[in-house]
Formats: sequence, structure tokens, C-alpha cells
Amino acid sequence: MSNIAAAAPSASRGSSYALQQLARAFNANATSWIGLVTFLVVVALALLAPVISPYDPLNQDILARLQGPSMSHWFGTDSYGRDILSRLLWGARLSLVISTVSILAAMVIGGIIGILAGYIGGRFDMVVMQVMDVLLSFPSLIMGLMVVAMLGANMGNLMIAIALTAIAPFARIARAPTILVKERDYIEACRALGYSDLRIMTVHILPNIVAEILVMGSLWLATAIRIEASLSFIGLGVRPPTATWGGMIREGFENILDSASLSIFPSLAILLVVFSLNMLGDGLRDAIDPKLRGGE
Amino acid sequence: MSTEGRGQGAAPASLDTPILSVENLVTEFRTGGGWYPAVRDVSFTVQHNETLAIVGESGCGKSVTALSIMGLVPPGNGRISGGHIRFAERDLVALDEEEMRKIRGDRISMIFQEPMTSLNPVLTVGFQVAEALCYHRDMDRREASAAALDLLEQVKIPSARQRFADYPHQFSGGMRQRVMIAMALACRPELLLADEPTTALDVTIQAQVLSLLAELKATYGMAMIFITHNLGVVASIADRVAAMYAGEIVEIAPVNQLFARPAHPYTELLLRSIPRVDRDTGNLSVIAGQVPALGAMPTGCRFAPRCPLREAVCTLRDPPLVALADAPDHHVRCWLRAPPVGGGHD
Amino acid sequence: MTDSILTVTGLRKFFTVTRGFPRTQTITVRALDGISFHVRKGEAFGLVGESGCGKSTAGRAALRLVEPDAGEIIFKGENVVTASKARLRELRRKMQIIFQDPYASLNPRRRIGKALIEPMRVHGVADAAECEARAHALLAEVGLPDSAMMRYPHEFSGGQRQRIGIARSLTLEPELLVADEPVSALDVSIQAQILLLLQRLQERRGLAFIFISHDLGVVRYFCQRMAVMYLGRIVETGPIPAIFKEPLHPYTKLLRDASPVPDPQLKVLMLRIEGEVPSAVNPPSGCHFHTRCPHVMPICLTTYPEWRQMDDERGVACHLHTQ
Repeated sequence: MSNIAAAAPSASRGSSYALQQLARAFNANATSWIGLVTFLVVVALALLAPVISPYDPLNQDILARLQGPSMSHWFGTDSYGRDILSRLLWGARLSLVISTVSILAAMVIGGIIGILAGYIGGRFDMVVMQVMDVLLSFPSLIMGLMVVAMLGANMGNLMIAIALTAIAPFARIARAPTILVKERDYIEACRALGYSDLRIMTVHILPNIVAEILVMGSLWLATAIRIEASLSFIGLGVRPPTATWGGMIREGFENILDSASLSIFPSLAILLVVFSLNMLGDGLRDAIDPKLRGGE
Repeated sequence: MSTEGRGQGAAPASLDTPILSVENLVTEFRTGGGWYPAVRDVSFTVQHNETLAIVGESGCGKSVTALSIMGLVPPGNGRISGGHIRFAERDLVALDEEEMRKIRGDRISMIFQEPMTSLNPVLTVGFQVAEALCYHRDMDRREASAAALDLLEQVKIPSARQRFADYPHQFSGGMRQRVMIAMALACRPELLLADEPTTALDVTIQAQVLSLLAELKATYGMAMIFITHNLGVVASIADRVAAMYAGEIVEIAPVNQLFARPAHPYTELLLRSIPRVDRDTGNLSVIAGQVPALGAMPTGCRFAPRCPLREAVCTLRDPPLVALADAPDHHVRCWLRAPPVGGGHD
Repeated sequence: MTDSILTVTGLRKFFTVTRGFPRTQTITVRALDGISFHVRKGEAFGLVGESGCGKSTAGRAALRLVEPDAGEIIFKGENVVTASKARLRELRRKMQIIFQDPYASLNPRRRIGKALIEPMRVHGVADAAECEARAHALLAEVGLPDSAMMRYPHEFSGGQRQRIGIARSLTLEPELLVADEPVSALDVSIQAQILLLLQRLQERRGLAFIFISHDLGVVRYFCQRMAVMYLGRIVETGPIPAIFKEPLHPYTKLLRDASPVPDPQLKVLMLRIEGEVPSAVNPPSGCHFHTRCPHVMPICLTTYPEWRQMDDERGVACHLHTQ
């Protein structure tokens, strides 16, 4: 049997073949790396905000209000004389925490709903997906408005609002491949071997669809940041004086004639993060399609 | 229906000149960063009105050979890098796309394995058959439709007139294959390439389609290259057979000879590894191992690692295709079974 | 049948599809329309037919992977159709399936070793060390190296994957294997390898097979008895040598004669067969085969022929053979 062993290509060591394929396909695309690196830089800056932030973001200095960029304030100051750069860094923390937590929650909840609906099928599937369709029909901003209006504007509720918006798309993105995978012979083999439905869903179906869900996750992270910023912009975000990007843009909006920096820099920050996440997400999506689909 | 006189059973200028002559064809594909020959040193001829079967297992290069003849090798990661394909006094390898397009569907036609994906699902079958005529013969729509209807009747589609305006999904697999055949024959090609046309069909439908092809071939006076992995089908329809392995022709002979006295060890083992319907098969022969990967071809004879007759010389150099001493039309690529005269090499 | 490991009686499975709006149209596909057969211990039973005849559904229904609408499936004296979920799970250990497509039958995300050990763990057959040892033994039995344990399916060829699928089906020591076109998707030279492997396993383990195939040559080689299916019904059963020598049903004869033979002296082109395979949605009245039968008689258009059991072994449903 030596020739069989010789004919088989090199075995995967340790980490799964899926990751290797992913890395290789990912590498083919320069923009995906740019996106990844940029995003990681932003995350790093946000994490290090307490350390690298030049000023306390809440520290007011009325005499220095509405200044443009200068040596002492690299990005200028806002209408209360607070350093914009510091507020940007701390705002990044907030945005990232809110979006990450809400999207993670939506991935888990939406994913579970989608897999269950796809696997069980029939009436259950129909009813669940119609509920999802109802959720989907709400524009994210309206959903956010409703939740915050009913429950109040704080970080937790913002996360709930954003998660609610994202659950339905994740349910969809988990359901479609579940339905495909469910029909494959190897799932039928699992049933023939007497495996429970739970085992089939978690051990056999989930690993085969997780790639799609993760890609969606990275793209939705960008959306979540945008939603959070929009809600803050209209005053339904985390209350001032906490630094939020959306809130800063609003302030800038109100003081646009006196200082452009206040609007420009937070906008650029959002643009940068959303753009990098989109590039990252697109790169991931190209990487997984169709190579990891079905494993061939 | 009026037709162009070409190929209508009229005697060709010289019966000895083959209609197609492939010489030392090399077609390469790019995998994992390098160019590897999927088809190497392939040479054969097809005479007028002859059916040549190219038989082999997956990966042997039979489909690639057909695509090369048609100039349909995917340009991104495939290319013909050597050899000649002589047809109608021209070298098809040297032609550009514009000129190949004039030949395809007109003088050389091809039918494929999966009729569902080879037919456009949103166009009626009548339209698709007529289209070939419009494009190559410059007929107007009415003329072409009439000719197309005639063709559908010739391929024995029941109630052809009513079904002319039906869509592919309304036909069964066997019927769709007939539609494909009608499309391919619309312009009375001199050569038909059939790439596994019956592999996806039920066995009774396969028999019908094979009969139909044989009939049409005789009526139209066409040559045919029939590609398949099924040796039973080969025995039914071929005049001559070329057996391919790992991108090379390893044996080529008239059909009776190939089955009666297979000379190449691969062909021999293959014939003995097929369970038969018509009698009890004793012991099945097993060919150990598997076909080498494109990028990992062994030096010397490509079949040597799996050959029970292997000797030292086999792993050193690839044997040439040589005629058997007592059968000049039976060529074999094997140092042991067909040593070149004079013990020479390529 | 005293030495039967599996007896199927009157198995029915219909698939209904409702479509159209606002007037809905219900289409019923009679995939299995009352079939009966039995398989003896250690015997290879062939189920033969063309596409749409229901042979795959029959194989799956026998394992209750597809829920039958009616009929009885007696496995070693126990009725599979009425078994409870728990009991079915245990019965499943004794009846396994191997699939046609080696590229779809293995989970691409699971290493081979895990795929082989998992069934044993799920059923609590043995402890971890023992499971691993058994997995290694299975790999050896199907002719694969130990190194396969840590690899993924994509690293193997079609033939090798089929071996892995066979190994997986043997993990729970079944007594009956449903083989659904196990060699149809493989190259000719690999087919022989797998057929020989299955034969060896049959001898060594005393396995019974329901061998589903459209290739009569393979069935003739591998099986001892067979049933021929057409549009959801069995039209003939019998021992292999007898059926091939002298098929009773015209469809069996048609199948046999249309199968290509690797002998240029015996061409299949001589057949004048007309007609398409009718669809299972709207089967012809009377005997389903009458539209294509060279021996059709008036009664064939109106009445479905009754099953006639010629002797212990042979049976046929054809007006030519009813007295």
C-alpha cells in the first residue's frame, strides 16, 4: 500500500485544513490584508486608549475650545475644550465594545435559530422564518429607536437594539447552508449510525457552515458601528459627556462653522473602520467561496 | 431538405487521406504554480466515415484531447503547447479564435455528457437547433426552423412539431441528448466529437442513443470520435480504439483486435477487471494503486508503478508507440510488448 | 423464510408535492408501490433498475432512513417500522449503508479517525483506547494505512474515500449492509478493487447485502439473488444464474440485452427499442411497462399483472406468465 500513501498529498498538521485554505485564499487578495491590518490597528489603539490617550476625554478646558489641530491638541478641541484625539480613542472603545458584543450575541442567537429552522424544516421553519422576516422589515435605525425609546439609552440597551436588528440576517445566513448540508450523504450516514439530532447539528452541520456565519459577522460589525454612530448622532446613544463618535459628529454639526475638525475626524474614524471591515469581510468571503463549501 | 453536398456520402477526394490527423499533441494545464502536460505526445488519425473510440479512466486526458481539437481548452490555465491537428488541410492549432469559430458547429461538432447543462434552459429547443443553421449557413429564421424541425424528426423526437417550442426541462435526459445531437448535426459536420454522451443515461436509453448515432453517422457519412470510459460501449460502436492512460495513448488498434488480443498490460488488465453481463466473470483482475497525479508523473513508462510486468527498463524511459510485429495497424506503447525495431528510442 | 435476515412486505412510499397558486395541484410520486422481498443471512441481494424505479428509496426505507407509508420490514424477527425510537437506534447498529458518491459521503470537516471512532463512542461500545484500536483495525481491513486516521477526506481519492465509507459502516459490526450504487461513481479499475474488498468483507464477516445498482454486470458478479424494479414495483425476482440465463419479464430481458458487453461481436445496437421511461408521477395504466413492451397484449393496458411466485426462488409480475 506504499503507493497509496505516496499518492496522498501532505497531511495537515495540527490546525485544520480549513484554516490553511483560508489563509492561502486570503493572501491572494491585497485589500483583505489591508483591511485586516487596519482594523487590528484600530482595535489596538482602542485597547490602549487609557495608556496612550494624551488627555482625559472628559477634561474640559473652556479657554481652549473649538481649536483646530495644533501641537498640543493633534486633532483639535471640541466645544468644551476637550481633546478630540482622546475622545476619539475612548469613543473607539465604546463603539467596538458595543458592536462586537451585539454582533456576537446576534451570531449565536441567529445562528441557533437558523440551524434549527433549516434542520427541522416544515412548519417550524415556516413560522420561524416569518418571524425573522418581520424583524428584517424593520430598518435598523427604527429598531434602535424603538428599543432605546422604550428601555432607555445606555450601553446595554444599545447592544440589545443592534443585536435585534442583526439576528434575522444571521438566521438566514445559517439556515440556507444548513438546508444544503442536511441533504448530504454524510448527514444521512450520521442518522444511519444512530446519532441524535443535537449531535448532528452541533458536531456535523455547524462546522460546515461556520465559515459563512463568520464572514457575515465581519461585515455586520461594520454595520453595527454605523448603527451605533447613527443612534448617537440623533441623541439616542450613550449619554454625554461620554465620548462617542456619533455624539462628536453631532457636536461638530452644531458647531460646523466654528471648527470643522470636530465633524471631520470622527467621520474619518468611522469611515476608516467601516471601510477596513468591509475589505476584511469581502476578503474572507472570497476566501471561503467556493473552496470550503462542501470541502472540495 | 436541401443540403450542402459536402459529406453526404459522396466519395472524398482520396480515401486514404484521413479527415483528421493529430500529431504529437501536447496540452498543458496550470496547477499549483506550474504547467503540466495533461496530454502528451498524442498522435492518431481518423479516416472518413470511421468511428474512433478514445477510452480511458478519469484523468487520462481523453476529454482534454477532444477539447484541444475543438480549440476549447480553457485559456486561463490551459494551453496547447505542441503538436499539430490537421483538418481539411489546415492546422487547427495555428488558427485563431475567429477562424475556429467558423469551423466549430459547422465542420466539426461536439456533443457532451450532461445534456441539461449543455442546453440553454431559457431557450426553446427548436430555437437552439435552428441557431446553428442561422449562424453558419446564413439562413433566415423560417428556413432554419424548417430545417431544425426536420432534424428533430431525424433524431426521432416523438411529436417533433409540437415539441419544437418546448424547453429543455420538459424533456427527459435521453430526449435532451437527442436534441444535442440534432444541434450538432445541423450543419452536416464532417467530424463529430462525442464526449461521454451516454454516460449519464439509463442503459436502455443509452442503447437507443447509440443506435441513433450509428444510423445518423451512416446517413450523413460522418467520422466520429467517441470518448468513453465504458469498454462495452466501445465494443458496440467503434471501428478503431485508442486507449489512453495518464495523458498518453498506450494502445491503438482496430476494435476486434483490441478486444481479442489486448497488447498493453493496462488494456489487458482493464478488460479483465470488468464484470460481464453475458457470462460469469471468473476472477476480477485488480490493478493496484491509482493514476498518478498530474504534477507527480513517474519517470519512464507512466503505467510502470502499477504494472505486474514491470522491469528495469520501464522506469528509465517512456516507451514510444510502436506497431506490433505481426499487426501493422495495432500500435502499443510498451517496452516489453512492443519493443521498437532495432531496440532504439524516440 | 427461516434463514432470512430481512423480510420486506408491501412497502409503500409516496412523495407528495403541492404546488401552484391559487389552485393547488398535488403531485404524488409513487416511489415505492408495494414491494416485497427478502434477504438471507450472508447473502448479496441485488436491487436493479433504471433511474426513477425506486431502488434507492427501497434501500433507505429498509433502514427507515426514509419513513415508509405502509408495509412491514422484519429484521431478525423484529418489525423495524413499528420500532420505538430507542429500539430503532439499537437496530441501526446492525443495518448500515454505504453511499454512491465518495465525495459527499464523508464530512469534510472531520478527520478520518474521529469519523470512525465517533459511532463507537456514541453507542458506548467500548472505551477510548479500545475504540482507537478498533478504528485502526478497520482501516487495515479496508486496505488503508494507519496514517489515514489523522487526515481529512479531501486528501484521499474517490476509491480511498469509498473504502473509508465502508470502514465507517462497519464500526458497529452490522449484519446487513445496504450498498447504494457503491461502485458507480468510481473508475473501472477502482471498481474492481472495491468489489473485491466487499466480497472479502462479506466472506469474513458473513455480511448480507442489499446491493443497489443499475449495472447488471456488477450485480451479476456480486450478488446471489436479485429483484428487478420498474416504476416503484418489483417485476421479477430470482437467483442470478437463472434470471440472466432466462429472464421471465420482458423488462428484465430488455435490461440484459441493452447492457453493453466488451465484445465487438455482441453489439447492443441491434435492439429496436422505442419509447421513453415513463415518469413515476403518472405511470401508465395497467402494467407500467406496456408502453415499451414488445409482447404487449390487450390485458396489459388495463390490469396490473398479479405477482406469480414460480417456486421458492423465482417470481414475476407479467401477464405472459399468469395462467
